[in-house]
Amino acid sequence: MRIWGAVVASARLVWGLAVGALTAVATLAGLAAGGIVLAPALAWPSAREASMHRLARTVLWLAEFERHRLYRLFGDAEAKTYRGYGPERALAYLGVRWPVGLLGGGILLLFVYGAGTIVFFVWYWLTGRYPDNIPPSPWIITYLAVACGFALFLGVQGLIGVVRLERNVARRFLGPTPADLLRVRIEQLSATRADVVAAVDAERRRIERDLHDGVQQRLVALGMLLGRARRSGAAGDEAKSADLLAQAHAESREILDELREVAWRVYPAALDTLGLKDALAGVAERAPIPVTVRYDVPDAPPAPVVTAAYFVVSEAVTNAVKHASASRIEIVVTRERKTMTVRVSDDGGGGADPAGAGLTGLARRVAALDGRFAVISPVGGPTEVRVVLPCA
Amino acid sequence: MRVIIAEDSALLRDGLRRLLVDEGYTVVDAVGDGATLVESVSRHLPDLVVADVRMPPTHSDEGLRAAVEIRRRWPSIGVLMLSQYVEQRYAVDLLTGHGTRVGYLLKDRVADVGEFLEALARVGAGGTAFDPEVVRQLLRRTTHSDPLTRLTGREKDVLDAMAQGHNNASIAARLHVSQSAVEKHVRSIFDKLGLADAEGYSRRVLAVLRYLGE
Repeated sequence: MRIWGAVVASARLVWGLAVGALTAVATLAGLAAGGIVLAPALAWPSAREASMHRLARTVLWLAEFERHRLYRLFGDAEAKTYRGYGPERALAYLGVRWPVGLLGGGILLLFVYGAGTIVFFVWYWLTGRYPDNIPPSPWIITYLAVACGFALFLGVQGLIGVVRLERNVARRFLGPTPADLLRVRIEQLSATRADVVAAVDAERRRIERDLHDGVQQRLVALGMLLGRARRSGAAGDEAKSADLLAQAHAESREILDELREVAWRVYPAALDTLGLKDALAGVAERAPIPVTVRYDVPDAPPAPVVTAAYFVVSEAVTNAVKHASASRIEIVVTRERKTMTVRVSDDGGGGADPAGAGLTGLARRVAALDGRFAVISPVGGPTEVRVVLPCA
Repeated sequence: MRVIIAEDSALLRDGLRRLLVDEGYTVVDAVGDGATLVESVSRHLPDLVVADVRMPPTHSDEGLRAAVEIRRRWPSIGVLMLSQYVEQRYAVDLLTGHGTRVGYLLKDRVADVGEFLEALARVGAGGTAFDPEVVRQLLRRTTHSDPLTRLTGREKDVLDAMAQGHNNASIAARLHVSQSAVEKHVRSIFDKLGLADAEGYSRRVLAVLRYLGE
C-alpha cells in the first residue's frame, strides 16, 4: 500500500507539472495579450479604471488557480494558507512563475522524447532491424542503459527541483511577508499574555479560597475552642476547660499542616532548593496512590520551564486522584535537544475535559512559553497529559 | 431559643453547635448550603439563624441570598450573618425591609466567644448587631462627604457603638460616661443627621445604618 501511495503521489506531481506548464503558456500569452490590449486602453482615462479592474481580477484568479494547484497536486500545505496578497504581488508572482512552469514542461517533454526513443529502438531491435545500422551488442545495450539511467536521474532531479522552485516562488510572492509574520506573532503574544493574566487570576482566586475556606475556618474554630475553654475555666469547670484546651492544641497542629499545604500549592520551595526531580518525587510521595517517576533530564532546564512542568504534573496528578479514580500514575520527563517533554498518564476512567478550569490554566501557562499541550482522555480511560516545552 | 446553623465547613459547624449548646441554645438543625437552609427554616421555624455568607455551590453569596429570602418570608426570625470579610453591600442588603433582628459579623469575631454570644443574644432579643469593623468602614466611607463631618469626636464614638447595636446603657458603660450624657449625644447626632424622632431603639440604628449605606 505504501508503494501504491508513492506511485499516486508521483503521478500527481507529474500531472501538477504538466498543468503548471500549460498555465505558464496561458499566463505568458495572457500577459502578452493583456499588454497589447491594455497599453492603448490606458491612453483613455475613462477605459483605464475598468481595464485595470478587469486585469486585477484576472491576475488574482490565475494566482488563486496556481495556489490551488500547489496545494492540491504538490501537497503544499503552506500554500493553502496564503491569502490577502493583492493584485500587485499576484502579478509579480505570475511574471516570475511562468519560466519555472515552462522549465517543468520542458523537462516533461524531454521525458516523453526519451521514452519514445527507447520504445522506438527496442521495437526496431525486436523486429530485427537496426535504426542506425549498429547491431545491439551487449556492450552497446549496457552503454545505452547506463546513459538512459543517467538521463533519467538528471530528469527526476530536475522535476524535483522545479517542484521546489514552484513552492519557493509562491511562498516568496504570495506567502506572508515578514511584516505579516510579525503581526501574527504579535497577535499570538497578546493572546497568550492575556491568557497568562487570566491563569494567574484563577490561581489567586484558588489561593484566596484555600486561605479563607480552609485556614481561616480552622483558626476561627481554634479561637472558639479557646474561648469555650476560658468560659469553662471561669465557670469553675476545670475538667472541661482542660479537655477543650487539649482539643485546641491538636487543632493548632492541624492548622500548621494546612498552612504548609497551602503555601506549598502557591509555590513549592523545593523547586528552588532541590530542583525539579526532587520536587516531582515529593508530588509522588504525597499522592495517595502509587506514582512512578522517570526523570531523564541531564542538565537543569530554565526556571520558567521547570515551574510550568511542575505545575502540569502536580495538577495532572491531583486530577487523576480526584476525578479519574486512577489506581496508578506514571510521570515521564525527558529532554530532547531543544525541548523537554512531560507525560503524565494514569489508568483511571478518562473523560477529562480539556476546557475545564484546571486544564485550561495549564494550557495557558504552557502556551505562554510557546509550548504544546495535549490531553488525550477518551471516556473509559486511560488519560494522558502531554506537554512539550521549548528550552532554548 | 431554637437556632439553625448554616455553615459549610464541617469543623466550624460542629464548633458552633457545641458552643451554642454549651450556652443553653437549642440547635434544631445544622446545614451546609443556602438552599437547604431555607428548606430547613421552613420546616423548623426557629427563633434564630446563624449563617455563613459564602456557601456552596457558588461560594459567593449563597448564604446572604438565603438570609434575605428568610427575612422576607419570616420577618420574626432573627438572622445573624457571618462573613469572611467586610462587604458593605451585604450589610445594606440585610437591612432592606425589616431593620430589626439582624446582625452582620466578621467570621473572626466568632473566636471572641464573649462578643459573639453577646451579639447573638442581642439579635435574638430583637435588636441588631453589626461588626465594629463593618461600622468603622461605613463611617470612614461617608465621613468626608456630608453631615457626619459635623459630628464631634465623642458623638462619632457614640454613633459607632450605636451602629453596632448597643443600647444607651451599654454605650455608657463602654465609653465610661453617664447614661444621660449618652442620651444627650444621641439626640445631638439625630439633630445633626436630620433624622426625625422615631419610636424604637433599633429603628434608630437602622436609620443610621441606612443613611450610612446609601
